Amino acid sequence: MAHHSVTFLPAGQTASVTTGTLLTEAIRQAGLDIGQPCGGQGRCGRCAIVVEDGQIRRRSAIRLSDADLAAGYALACQAVVEGDATIRLLETEAVERRLVTDKTARQVAAPFAYAPERDQSVRAFFVTLDEPTLADNVDDAARLERALAAHGVRGLEIPLALLRTLGPRLRDANWQATAVVELDTWRRPAGPPRLIDLIPGDQLAQVLGLAIDIGTTTVTVYLVDLLTGAAVDQAAEYNGQIARGEDVISRIIYASKGGPASAPSGLEELRARVLETINTLIARLAERGQVDPQRIYKATVAGNTTMLHLFLGVPPASIRLTPYIPAVNHPAPLTAAEAGLAIHPLALVDPLPGVASYVGADITAGVLATGLHEAEPLTLFIDVGTNGEIVLGNQEWLMTCACSAGPAFEGAGVVSGMRATRGAIEEVWINSQTYEPTYRVIGGGQPRGLCGSGLLSLLAELFITGVADKAGNFKLDLGLPRLRPGAHGPEYVVVWAGDAAHGQDIVLTKVDVDNLMRAKAAIYAGFNVLAQSVGVDLSQVERLLIGGSFGKYLNVEKAVQVGLLPDLPWDRINFLGNTAVLGAYLALLSRDARAAVRALAEKMTYLELSADNSFYEAFTSALFLPHTDLSRFPSVAALAAPGEAGARA
Amino acid sequence: MPVEIPKDKWAGQIRTVTLGATAAEGGTRARTLTVGGEACLPFLHFDAPGAAMPHRPALALEVRDRRPDDWSPLLGQAWGEAMSDPGDWARAAEQAGADLIVLTLSLTQADGSPNLPANAVAVVQKVLGATGLPLAVFGPGQAEKDNELIVPVAEAAKGERLLIGVCEDKNYRTIVAAAMANGHLVSSKTPMDVNLAKQLIILIHDMGMPLDRILMDPTTGALGYGIEYGYSVMERLRLAALQGDSMTQQPMLVTPGEEAWKAKEAKVGEGVPAAWGDWQRRAINWETLTGSALLQTGADIVVLRHPESLARLRTQIAGLMQA
Repeated sequence: MAHHSVTFLPAGQTASVTTGTLLTEAIRQAGLDIGQPCGGQGRCGRCAIVVEDGQIRRRSAIRLSDADLAAGYALACQAVVEGDATIRLLETEAVERRLVTDKTARQVAAPFAYAPERDQSVRAFFVTLDEPTLADNVDDAARLERALAAHGVRGLEIPLALLRTLGPRLRDANWQATAVVELDTWRRPAGPPRLIDLIPGDQLAQVLGLAIDIGTTTVTVYLVDLLTGAAVDQAAEYNGQIARGEDVISRIIYASKGGPASAPSGLEELRARVLETINTLIARLAERGQVDPQRIYKATVAGNTTMLHLFLGVPPASIRLTPYIPAVNHPAPLTAAEAGLAIHPLALVDPLPGVASYVGADITAGVLATGLHEAEPLTLFIDVGTNGEIVLGNQEWLMTCACSAGPAFEGAGVVSGMRATRGAIEEVWINSQTYEPTYRVIGGGQPRGLCGSGLLSLLAELFITGVADKAGNFKLDLGLPRLRPGAHGPEYVVVWAGDAAHGQDIVLTKVDVDNLMRAKAAIYAGFNVLAQSVGVDLSQVERLLIGGSFGKYLNVEKAVQVGLLPDLPWDRINFLGNTAVLGAYLALLSRDARAAVRALAEKMTYLELSADNSFYEAFTSALFLPHTDLSRFPSVAALAAPGEAGARA
Repeated sequence: MPVEIPKDKWAGQIRTVTLGATAAEGGTRARTLTVGGEACLPFLHFDAPGAAMPHRPALALEVRDRRPDDWSPLLGQAWGEAMSDPGDWARAAEQAGADLIVLTLSLTQADGSPNLPANAVAVVQKVLGATGLPLAVFGPGQAEKDNELIVPVAEAAKGERLLIGVCEDKNYRTIVAAAMANGHLVSSKTPMDVNLAKQLIILIHDMGMPLDRILMDPTTGALGYGIEYGYSVMERLRLAALQGDSMTQQPMLVTPGEEAWKAKEAKVGEGVPAAWGDWQRRAINWETLTGSALLQTGADIVVLRHPESLARLRTQIAGLMQA
């Protein structure tokens, strides 16, 4: 087959590819990278490039205007090489990511009175073996077993890898060694114990574990001292899979792509990407703490169902297809070598249980962390991200559902949307007399766009000041200079070009408003249907717990004003941050917590929202500001849009 | 054995809305039309004897500002030459027994050029002069054109308490503002959904329009073309209204004439199976059955196209009101 040379400007890297190769693949072969937030479906338009010269065929150009096409633009994920070509890569928005969870090393003390001998399943024992003699001639393995029996460890299994080096290790150690033993797992509650490591001398001081939360957006790792139970350090990083899709659906689609013979499949690539993220974090923690990653013997992993499938390299395809059945909800424990984690190869890796395709181990871990499964008050727990997972219940019962909010709250799918990084507007106020906005920008300086909390705040202000009506229509008849017709329908100019970092107007379009309205309506409808299904009213909810990083920046008042959260007294609302990693931390430390998360996952009743009409009904009624039934939002009803209230007859 | 009929006691009641204004009220109409006020499900008079349905459902006939290009030939036969002149047509509709004239403005003029505000105003004035009945004037149903034509009509007919529209969720502010400024009523039209119907009433009321000047059109489908969906939306709206949900208590206007005459069964007489029977009989049955089903689910104003359908529904309503 003919080979073509593709040159990439500005730096001039080249790739030699066959006819029909996608440009994204050619870019990768040239040693470059290009983001594909939609997973290469040709929908997001973020992988646009300019064809300077040569033969490139565009498979799809739905995101490109005629003017774009005339200027030579193409989407790399939809462009096929058919001859030698020169391609100009665009200077994309610098990937500037700020993670608040990684600002400083924060120590977290064990959240309960931790007693390793009672709670911990992975233990280290310092043993002194009797030196073999002609009279005492049992084999090395039995000799080790005998020594450990003195600590109550019976029936030890020694993996082949350790067996092969057992003799020299014991002799080099002069028969004094530290044995790291996995006593049991949830699959093998009665053992037999398994030897993980054998180190010369007394090494009890460094026995470590990891609590890992694989988020669709962010991966968080706690480094935990298994002797004291303290989380000695923590680190977080964006999930390396983001470049291949911003939401789980895009990732699932990407995972199902078969790679060309020379390249890995989508699934393998995504697995490699998340492992690279986790292993980078582990290396960072080890370096900061001056510890040897080989002394990490246990890792407990939380994450949504898709993330755990990708982490384990299990194809997630059926998760997005009706009837939405995952390959596995509760994967069995495995070793670090099997998982691909850069810690001790025989370390125990323990994925936590999920409930269903869209209620995963991040939620069961979150419930564990909140303790709502042990509490009396009726509690609503929500983890807001791209998906909103909701749990309602108490010690008696637990109901759960998941609603797809779309990525609007993460700043995606919105014209001026961006992640909560430097330059993002995170809060907006509109003057009710002049309709002029003021805003707060992350990191100060000039704004570049709006992040989720900024978007929500803006929507609330537009509604409360009457710039938009309750259906989210801009009131063009107000004659405001900031309201104008745009390419995507009417739009509101938040920041004029002269005040923006990139010299372009920052706007909120009617389409953006519709996206935000749908996102908030989906979540509120989820609350509503869940409550309805057990015959309680949302006003009866005694505690509302909000997890997820979005929750940290959420302004309760604004979230209630737009009807995202039920109108409850503020003292019932608590923000908890990343509950998934906290749950993983608890399960790492305690057998009881590990058993509890399994029990609660089995106890949770999953409500499939697509099974009947009630969700759609609740959704359309929530597709209004704050809600079609204003009596559900008494605190918002008290605020009327000025200018019109007076005219009301 | 005596049978006791269970009675419902409802918390809510449908609002009463009056269309048209006489000279004493600032208009020129010979009479006005009042609808709504129900305190029961349709025709269940025993729920509140004497007060259950203070106003009988009204029957309207639709006329156009010019002879329509796409109406069934059967309608052409029924109205004859009157269809060529909106004044004559309205007069004929009044003679046929209509309670209300519904004038729909066309998108284009007969020569294909866009309809113009001056033309719309002239037609409305002609119809007002030809009949003493209250009048509804609806735009062609395209947001920009509706606004362009209806605003000058509202101004020219100030004080007549016209019913004007079409108000939809993406385009209601201009028409509502024109109605408020000139003493008219508005029709709030939403696509067969309880929540959307309620939401648009809230939006219109938020602008300051009094609730006794808003009718709602929940959109209907013809017999065989989604009537059960529209029926059930109307039923749920009416139940919500009677249960006390204030923003659903508007009288409902429905358009079975427009819908039924779109159906193949009514519109065409050729190329259909012989077993379908006589065309004219079938066509009028289609409109009448669609309309009578809607009466049973709470319609307050039924807009028809054929005079015979109106006569039949008139008889039916008379019977149902006596029962």
